[in-house]
Amino acid sequence: MNITPTEAEQALEAIQAMVRKTQKAISTSGAYNFLILWGFVWLVGFLSSHFVTGNLVGYIWMGLDILGGLGSVVLGIRLSRKVRSHSGLASGKRIGWFWLLLFAYCVALILVASPVDGKQVAMIIVLFVMIGWVAMGLLLSVASIRWSLGITALALIGYFLLPDFFFLWMAVLGGGGMIGLGFYIRSSW
Amino acid sequence: MAKFNDTIHQPVRLQIMAALVTLGSEKEVDFSYLRDLLGVTDGNLGAHLRKLEEAGYIKVNKEFVERKPRTFISASEAGRQVFQEHVQALEEILKKE
Repeated sequence: MNITPTEAEQALEAIQAMVRKTQKAISTSGAYNFLILWGFVWLVGFLSSHFVTGNLVGYIWMGLDILGGLGSVVLGIRLSRKVRSHSGLASGKRIGWFWLLLFAYCVALILVASPVDGKQVAMIIVLFVMIGWVAMGLLLSVASIRWSLGITALALIGYFLLPDFFFLWMAVLGGGGMIGLGFYIRSSW
Repeated sequence: MAKFNDTIHQPVRLQIMAALVTLGSEKEVDFSYLRDLLGVTDGNLGAHLRKLEEAGYIKVNKEFVERKPRTFISASEAGRQVFQEHVQALEEILKKE
């Protein structure tokens, strides 16, 4: 087939338009939403851990985690209907079960290690969540492992080097960082 | 010199390959999502996907998800290479001008 330069230009423009459209379509339902959702949970939760005292903190975290969990289920369902990984292992139900079991193991570890203080509970939960994200990265998107490791490193730095400001550190760098990273990933499409 | 591909050059098939290549090598997309993205009918999309599948440029994965038949499509490695070559061929045509 012989085509004119004008036809070639039009074809290239059509390709570019579809590339942009695909990127935007994916970004509106992409996994970055999880980063923003849980970043918000961590931001509010860790700020409350820093500024609020007593049992109220526990209820705030419970409410936030329930909201985060429900939001994750909705996002996961939306995502799996449209675009998914080749791997047969990465089905929505298995991913859901994985997170449930991970949560159960986390609770078990906290009970076994008790008595633990608030910072230790928070750190254990952060580590389990990051293990989960690394596992998801290995299954679905290897590139996302980098930020999982980055957040883990930040959490460990805050826990060991800034114990008096650990919750504030996690709120700003952990929660805020995840929110910022989520928007950055979205905009970089 | 990059090779121009007549099979891919059809407008809808060009858009299909552009979308699938943009998704990345790890991803496959649901048929209805692709249909809505391209703004074509089921029959139109199905016909073009068959052409691309026969040429070995895409992989079509049909399965049951919660008892409902679902079709997932992804670009094959050969399809990616051919698409990239086709884009290069189009750019070479423009450069010659």
